[in-house]
Amino acid sequence: MLLLQSVILGLLLGGLYALLAAGLTLYFGIMRVVMIAHSAFLILAAYLAWWTNDRLGIDPLLSLVVTVPLFFGAGVLLQRGLLSRLRPATLTMMSVLITFAIALMIEGLLGYAFSGTQRRIQLGYGTASFDLFGARVAVVKLIAFGLAAVSLAALYLLMKRTQFGWALRATIQHRDAARLVGIDTERTAGYGFGLGLATAAIGGTALSLDTTIYPSLHWHWIGPLMAIIVVGGLGSVAGAAAAALVLGLAQSLLQIPMGATWAQTVFYVALFATLAVRPQGFFGGRLAQRF
Amino acid sequence: MRSPARRTTWAVALSAILTLAACGGGGDSSSSADDPIVVGISLPLTGDFSEPGKGVQEGYEAWAKITNDKGGLLGGRKIELKILDDQSNADRVVADYEQLIGSDQVDLVVGPFSTRLVVPSARVAQEYGMLFVEPAGAAAEVFNQGFKNLFYAAPAVADDHYNHLAEYLLALPAGQKPATVAYAAMDDPFAQGTAYGLKKKLEAGGVKTVVDEVYPPNTTDFGSIAAKIAAAKPDMVVGGSQYQDGVNLIVALQQLNYQPKLAAFSTAPTNPEFAKAIGNKTEGILSPTGYSQDAPYESNKEFVEKFTAQFGKAPEEDQANGYTTGQVVAAAVEAAGCAEQGDCQQKLIDWLHGNTVDTVVGPLKWDATGKPQGAHMIQQWVGNDIKIVLPADAKEADLVYPKPAW
Repeated sequence: MLLLQSVILGLLLGGLYALLAAGLTLYFGIMRVVMIAHSAFLILAAYLAWWTNDRLGIDPLLSLVVTVPLFFGAGVLLQRGLLSRLRPATLTMMSVLITFAIALMIEGLLGYAFSGTQRRIQLGYGTASFDLFGARVAVVKLIAFGLAAVSLAALYLLMKRTQFGWALRATIQHRDAARLVGIDTERTAGYGFGLGLATAAIGGTALSLDTTIYPSLHWHWIGPLMAIIVVGGLGSVAGAAAAALVLGLAQSLLQIPMGATWAQTVFYVALFATLAVRPQGFFGGRLAQRF
Repeated sequence: MRSPARRTTWAVALSAILTLAACGGGGDSSSSADDPIVVGISLPLTGDFSEPGKGVQEGYEAWAKITNDKGGLLGGRKIELKILDDQSNADRVVADYEQLIGSDQVDLVVGPFSTRLVVPSARVAQEYGMLFVEPAGAAAEVFNQGFKNLFYAAPAVADDHYNHLAEYLLALPAGQKPATVAYAAMDDPFAQGTAYGLKKKLEAGGVKTVVDEVYPPNTTDFGSIAAKIAAAKPDMVVGGSQYQDGVNLIVALQQLNYQPKLAAFSTAPTNPEFAKAIGNKTEGILSPTGYSQDAPYESNKEFVEKFTAQFGKAPEEDQANGYTTGQVVAAAVEAAGCAEQGDCQQKLIDWLHGNTVDTVVGPLKWDATGKPQGAHMIQQWVGNDIKIVLPADAKEADLVYPKPAW
């Protein structure tokens, strides 16, 4: 029974991880940027969802109507205004520093605006759950998983079926070649970055449903998420999703014999193993040749 | 990153202080009847501990004001606080107390906030032979340094927080006593200390431990820990928690529909945000607390009333700890009849070692290491309110056991 319960919890957790990591792998694919501030944006979105619920009394999911376009715009501005101005030779390195600064700024502003008090969204269905073959499935976790599944499916279709998706994938695969066939790679990269940040809006909202949030929480998330995108293959959204599910499940199951402290290390063990054995990642191809 | 220039400035400042101290040392300040009693304090008003630091500062300020409004100490001497900001920095706190005692010649010193700052500053006070009552620093390392001048002005150290509950449970008849308990504690000396203090006592009393989980402070997912606890179906669950971990764990347990007969969590349930955070499903949750605005101790009513008038909000535990520290020092000063550096300090120390002081957190007494000899009150969520249920002489309501469903 504990095993089934842990499998269910692990899958729900893995789904959430997949959504939270999706944007991170997208940024790297598009422009080799390591976006430390991704998890800070997640927490920002979570705060906005909490604020919407607390002040306006409406369901936190409705905050997505505002936060998704807002984050998309912020992503485009961030890429056009800051990251695209970095010298290509030192882009990856400098992007770490600049996004680190952005993460600190967001954390500071959250503390200033909402204080350091820890917050949690109050939902009528916050502790509701139903029975599935003797295990319990929490409604909020299922909603978060559903959000993740829907947004990742939408992202997949967008990348596969639309002209913008083709342009974005072409930009990821080979920027110069993409430019030769007439793609405005600069603009595409900007929109791609916006897309990544839009996933952060959804991810943060999903996270806020079942988590107590505080301004510095993002530091606890960035490590596991980075590990997920490396294991999944940098730049591959599908790879990140697969890695997220496997690692989420592994964390949940390892907790039974090993306890919480050691179960957490599964991310870093997987990270080291990947770098040592298969640096291009286990699920995606090298820098996301396939989507 | 401290720049060399700044380091030099520090060195200069420090040597200046030392010189001053050498010159001024030994001169017994002749205290006349209306000289103020100057109390030197260093507090973390900025940096990591600024939140609790400011809380303790309010407690000290309330103590000075309330005491002065009643005519001060020793027949009319007013209290004057001299507060320095140590920026939550252990080097800085040492320099601060050197300055307060050596060059500023304060009459008394009281402690800063947090174990990390209490230990180095208590050492400075010890070198100068000063009494050192402190409002924070409950970890074991504070009391095994061999300090003879230190007193922790709170009811109990972490390990003893649950003593009243342990006593109550072990005194239950065999059929009613919880048979199995699950413990989940954060890997943190304070939070873990509370849960393991109870664990040790219950195990000695024959109550079986079925789950013993320790999680790191950065744990974000509590679903699996909750699953493990729920699967073991223990009669009682004990959380050695801070805040967010306690909230997340309780919600995760509720999501799994686990209904224990008793649930005890440290810190989180006494937080003003708690009920809201878990959607008011608080029924029957227990928590140890060092301070309650509703505690029936004599001076507490006056403290809550006057503090609220002074600051426009009711005092919490940090404020109460600062105030308690002041009460302890004041009691010693009145009993010894003096408040100045020199021989007087030893009289104050000796008096505190041999006596009990009534404070807003109840009567306090200490062992030779300055460790308080009490236990925390136990509060329980009954209806939509948290009430004191143990010990019997302070209770506002009876402990409900087994607890209603949450």
